[in-house]
Amino acid sequence: MADAFPAVLTGPSSKERRYDRQLRLWAATGQQALEDSRVLLVNSDGTFGPQSTGVAGVAGVEALKNLVLPGIGGITIVDPATVTEVDLGVNFFLEAESLGKSRAEETCRLLRELNPDVQGYAYSKPVSQLLQDPNFLAQHKLVIISGPTKRSTLQAVCQEAKNLGIPVLYTHSVGFYSMFSLQLPAEFPIVETHPDPESTQDLRLLNPWPELIAAGTALGDLSSMDDHQHGHVPYILLLLHFIEQWKQTHAGKPPSNYKEKTEFREFVRSQARTNTPEGGEENFDEAVGAVMKTISPFELRSSIREIFAMDQCQQLKPDSPDFWIIASAIHKFCEENKGLLPLPGSLPDMKAQSADYVSLQNIYKAKARRDVDEVTATVRQLETQIGRTAPIPEREIEVFCKNAADIKVVRGRHIPLLSEDSDAATTKTIRGGFALDDRLVAIYVAFEILDAVVSEVQSIADTENGGDQLRLPNIEDEELWTKHTDRILKVLARDTGTDIPPEQKDILEDAMWELRRTEGGELHNISALTGGLVAQEALKVLTQQYVPLDNTCVFDGARSQTAMYRL
Amino acid sequence: MVDGMYGAQPSPGPNTKKCSPTVQKQQQQQAENADGGAGKKKKKVTAAQLRVQRDLQELTLGSTMKMSFPNPDDILNFTLTIEPDEGMYKGGVFHFSFAVNQNFPHDPPKVKCTQKIYHPNIDLEGNVCLNILREDWKPVLNLNAVIVGMQFLFLEPNASDPLNKEAADDLRTNRDAFKRNVRSSMAGGSVRSVSYERVLR
Amino acid sequence: MSTIDPQARWTYLYKALSKNGPLTDEDWEFGPETIATLESSKILVIGAGGLGCEILKNLALSGFKDIHVIDMDTIDISNLNRQFLFRQADIGKPKAEVAAAFVEKRVKGVKITPYVGKIQDKDEDYYMQFKIIICGLDSIEARRWINSTLIAMVDMENPESLKPLVDGGTEGFKGQSRVILPTLSSCIECQLDMHAPRPAVPLCTIATIPRQPQHCIEWAYQIAWQEKRKDEPFDSDDLEHISWVYNAALERGEQFHIHGVTFQMTQGVVKNIIPAIASTNAVIAASTTSEVLKIAASCNPYLDNYMMYAGEEGVYTYTFQAEKKSDCPVCGNLARKMEVDPNVTLGDFIESLGERAEAQLKKPSMRTEEKTLYQRFPPQLEEQTRPNLQLKLRDLVADGQEIAVSDPAYTIDFRYRLNFK
Repeated sequence: MADAFPAVLTGPSSKERRYDRQLRLWAATGQQALEDSRVLLVNSDGTFGPQSTGVAGVAGVEALKNLVLPGIGGITIVDPATVTEVDLGVNFFLEAESLGKSRAEETCRLLRELNPDVQGYAYSKPVSQLLQDPNFLAQHKLVIISGPTKRSTLQAVCQEAKNLGIPVLYTHSVGFYSMFSLQLPAEFPIVETHPDPESTQDLRLLNPWPELIAAGTALGDLSSMDDHQHGHVPYILLLLHFIEQWKQTHAGKPPSNYKEKTEFREFVRSQARTNTPEGGEENFDEAVGAVMKTISPFELRSSIREIFAMDQCQQLKPDSPDFWIIASAIHKFCEENKGLLPLPGSLPDMKAQSADYVSLQNIYKAKARRDVDEVTATVRQLETQIGRTAPIPEREIEVFCKNAADIKVVRGRHIPLLSEDSDAATTKTIRGGFALDDRLVAIYVAFEILDAVVSEVQSIADTENGGDQLRLPNIEDEELWTKHTDRILKVLARDTGTDIPPEQKDILEDAMWELRRTEGGELHNISALTGGLVAQEALKVLTQQYVPLDNTCVFDGARSQTAMYRL
Repeated sequence: MVDGMYGAQPSPGPNTKKCSPTVQKQQQQQAENADGGAGKKKKKVTAAQLRVQRDLQELTLGSTMKMSFPNPDDILNFTLTIEPDEGMYKGGVFHFSFAVNQNFPHDPPKVKCTQKIYHPNIDLEGNVCLNILREDWKPVLNLNAVIVGMQFLFLEPNASDPLNKEAADDLRTNRDAFKRNVRSSMAGGSVRSVSYERVLR
Repeated sequence: MSTIDPQARWTYLYKALSKNGPLTDEDWEFGPETIATLESSKILVIGAGGLGCEILKNLALSGFKDIHVIDMDTIDISNLNRQFLFRQADIGKPKAEVAAAFVEKRVKGVKITPYVGKIQDKDEDYYMQFKIIICGLDSIEARRWINSTLIAMVDMENPESLKPLVDGGTEGFKGQSRVILPTLSSCIECQLDMHAPRPAVPLCTIATIPRQPQHCIEWAYQIAWQEKRKDEPFDSDDLEHISWVYNAALERGEQFHIHGVTFQMTQGVVKNIIPAIASTNAVIAASTTSEVLKIAASCNPYLDNYMMYAGEEGVYTYTFQAEKKSDCPVCGNLARKMEVDPNVTLGDFIESLGERAEAQLKKPSMRTEEKTLYQRFPPQLEEQTRPNLQLKLRDLVADGQEIAVSDPAYTIDFRYRLNFK
């Protein structure tokens, strides 16, 4: 929850009111990140055949809508097409008066109406021309490309984005199907992953620190308490107390396996007083309920260990991003504190008297504070060592410590293009899907074939420029489809040395049949849904909160299903 | 939620159909309960009403409880009267208003004491602290469970989690003094300079 | 604007409706007939908020030409981060009207009829005119109402009386969409336990042992307000009211050394605010309208019957068939038709129920929507309704009216539609 906005007697500002419903998700820091971002949409780059403007690009436009509304800093639309009647049937951000005008400019104008705080830029020329300006792409924090588009353009944009460390989303929406992939930098770290609060409680019952131990000991003799006191001992102290009792009869060891924990739980249950008006005690119920979840030694997750082992964490450089400097400091903390991470410091609500709860909470908060201080001291040392002058803000270190157990580093991959260069892992995932009758993986392959067909159509159109337009192939050219289907099937057979069996090929046939129903055209619903999903990923990438897609998502609008693949 | 969720769902399951039957087609398959006729304009008995009708029928009131319905046609709003025949509140007559909304049983009934009484679990505004009226309410619970809980409050007032803190402190520290306070408050007297309503029979 | 050629404008949609696909029904008649059916289908949208705005746009761009929309709300500034048909200047105006006007202006040729008011204002005749009903609501109560209304409308002799209900809902990065065929598939009431109950804190915690800032806020508006400002109804949209609660909560927090009461949190607790963003709404709204298109045009199978979506970690959906409950109080036992003599007394009628072959109702209680006919227990109500036993049916119910009957011998209740002989 966001608590970054200061309370004001006059109430929140109009901006806070406007964005209230989203600030409750990504808070002021996420909002600031959004407002500092400009997103590029590359919306078309050639035809689907004679008299076609190619991609209508509605999925991309809808994605922009979902970014303009929450207040993205700016949008850039690159689209050489002019508005046709076809566009008016799919794109809500065009109007009858837009016919014949620049699609980029008209869409940009109508999108900007949604939020006066958002800057908008429109370019009615191919993106390849714009890329000649080395500063063009660098102004953006994210690129969305509407597919299918020709390989040469796609690769040029993706390569330059990769060099600049800018994430790319490559989207498709055709008929009832859609898919998109996310290209992230080689390492994409996330501190605020927003895990389920229920699943992430680090209470340290088996690794208590002196103050917490003292609080447990201070309970004294439970049997001498009156019912009121007895029924209000915070369950955390109850558990600490009973763990100590248990240890005395179990060679100094806490309950460690399932059987012992079950026994321990029954022991705790038996200690509750039942001669009360309610016939039991809520704090004991809470203690019983928490045994299985909280009585486990702290264990560092393998994903965190992997992060500590990464070069970026081991070998800091003067220009290392903040994430790696703090991660490195926390690694040191972990080594010096018997494998523990800094304490998050939050305490779940529990049955207790106000003052007792607050003092227990203070014990957790104080320990968390000390841990942050320890990490901060290390961060400062590291900064000196690597010769960094601007110190990392305290707040950043604090947030990192609080989330240390749940940080994530996504290892970015390229936009997957199924070709002779595809890696074995990708073809294996796809073959595995075919073997399991996975119809969504077949949709991905069908899209790859469509992409190849379109790429060839557009490349021919480029070379025929000014020539006989009617001689151009279009995307319904059966020869092109057969050629590229055969080629892709060969790619899929490459690593196993076996062809896809005929019965498995049927699911690809079905996918292509459905995909080709609209001859490359978009259905608004499917594009709107895809634009929602793409914007969702864009928000996660730009705010560096939550966990983005890794790396490909397919939506089947005929069966109302989605699937994710790492390709 | 990481590896397990990758890829498509394990099997297409029952959610995909090879063909897409029209709604009308499906409907032909289900011919029972055939019905037609007039009277469409009349409103239907609501789910909340139906559930309350059933719940009322399944009540066990005993001799200490009575209900009254200011408007017998409106079974969603009524009064429960409790006259404890044992315990410290014996001799008192206590009235509670019940208001059930159309979202019942998703929402619990709203219960309030209509008198100002001295009770650790009922505040001076008539709010009642009973777990199943709030945090522990579940749609499977019925009105009987609520009524049993209410009755229990008078037999075993609970000092440990009070709404009326003074009354709870009295109960906890000096049970006899608490009993005296209950008697005098029920007779319309004052306790700690708060005057209470006379509730004796 | 007749200059726009529909064939050109709807090129892609018409293609999808003019060719079959691998999942379309074999005897599906694609082409002009399907297109005509689609364009003449009257659709009702319930709610013109976060989902509703998207739904209206999506339906208009799916070829539907006759759309109605109901919403009782007016536009608030906090809607503008997602309800994209509204602008700053629209604040305070009715959502249904502004949304309808905007989409009509943008998508020429579509007719959108707004109704500013509650769904409960409308009767069966109103709902009967639509082909499909699509909901973007934030209230469980309203969903339950439309669900039971549509189920009660089903007349098996009239296929047109079955109105598919497509429902969407979102919360933060999560959402769901579902398709309900009243009486044929799992209904909203069958799925009621999928709605997480609103978490509540014991009243006594709030009153005496607060531990969290939220407890202080609840105390301020549930207890302090009642004590101090009893005679003023609390209005969560009144800034002065919220500020008062906020200050009272702050003070209480200080008293108990509880930190973290903020204005934003106060609003969140008091108004039960659910986080909402444009992207999730876009996903769920488009999912529901996609199902509407498939139902209306049969161009692909529709969702059977539930898709849940979670976007916090990648893109996760789960599509499954929610179960129809045989003991569902709404769709478990539909109204049966019963021929009755209007001149028999209620007492005799009740006796006759005990002798019916299919369900011997020996101790029934029964009512109509407006009248308690006879309630066997508690005794006070029995006494109050006993005189009805002497009255003739014609004096208690109208011809064709529905009665609901509960009997302790059955765990399920019965509904009968009484038709006078």
